Amino acid sequence: MQRSMDQSMTVDGANRTSHAELTLRSRMAELSLVPPWIEQLGAEHAISASTQFAMNLCLEEVLSNIIRHGYGNNGDRVISVRYAPSQNNSVLLVIDDEAPHFNPLAAEETPVEETLDGTRIGGLGIRLVRGFAESLKYEPTAAGNRLIIGFSTADQPRPASLLCDPPQ
Amino acid sequence: MQMATEQLEGDVTKVVFDGRFDIAGADAVDLKMNVIAGSKKFVLVDMQKVSFLGSMGLRTIVSAARTIKSRGGKMAVYGPDEEVEKVLTMSGVTALVPIHHDLQSAIASLQ
Repeated sequence: MQRSMDQSMTVDGANRTSHAELTLRSRMAELSLVPPWIEQLGAEHAISASTQFAMNLCLEEVLSNIIRHGYGNNGDRVISVRYAPSQNNSVLLVIDDEAPHFNPLAAEETPVEETLDGTRIGGLGIRLVRGFAESLKYEPTAAGNRLIIGFSTADQPRPASLLCDPPQ
Repeated sequence: MQMATEQLEGDVTKVVFDGRFDIAGADAVDLKMNVIAGSKKFVLVDMQKVSFLGSMGLRTIVSAARTIKSRGGKMAVYGPDEEVEKVLTMSGVTALVPIHHDLQSAIASLQ
């Protein structure tokens, strides 16, 4: 069931989100809150369907990775996602967690051949995030981690440029 | 995510997905798709009504394709929209599962 996304939405008794920010508990079921939030942002800010697709894709990959690996499936932690319009036909999603420091941009992509032969499939997510984002920036914070994902709102998004050191 | 099957001529099984192939969507169809992959030889995956595809949805497709291939069969994808096709292409899955936008050519590729 889709929850309403009013300005001061109350979920489970707590004020957890506004139009520009979505706060999730670290449970896979919470990922169902993302698509209606993106859809609402898209309606309010005239974000194209293809950019909304990219935002949904990157958030599913990044948030599920934080829940599974950052928080080790501990369902009582929080993740915040903030929307920030940017200049030059782009928008930003800023994702903050309180997990141990981990730079997802340094993670190894799964080679295509290994995806196809089934030996490794988990690294597909970072390949897709790199492909659908326009820019990616990682910052360790005092509380945990911050990932800033940029998306082009132009018709033809450019490939993601890494704003941090690439994996060696 | 909804999943329906239809038996076509030439021993082709059409699997129609409808909805978001995200983590929850993949969870909803994984078991049924495993049964299809383990029992059918020629499988056409109709993705015309798939509005989203993430890595877990990809995993479902790749896993089924590998099982079908190991049994001497073939699998093809039909009708993904532009964004879903971009996910399939970017992942490299198209080397294992060809994409078609014409139904007859999709069916013919399985023969």
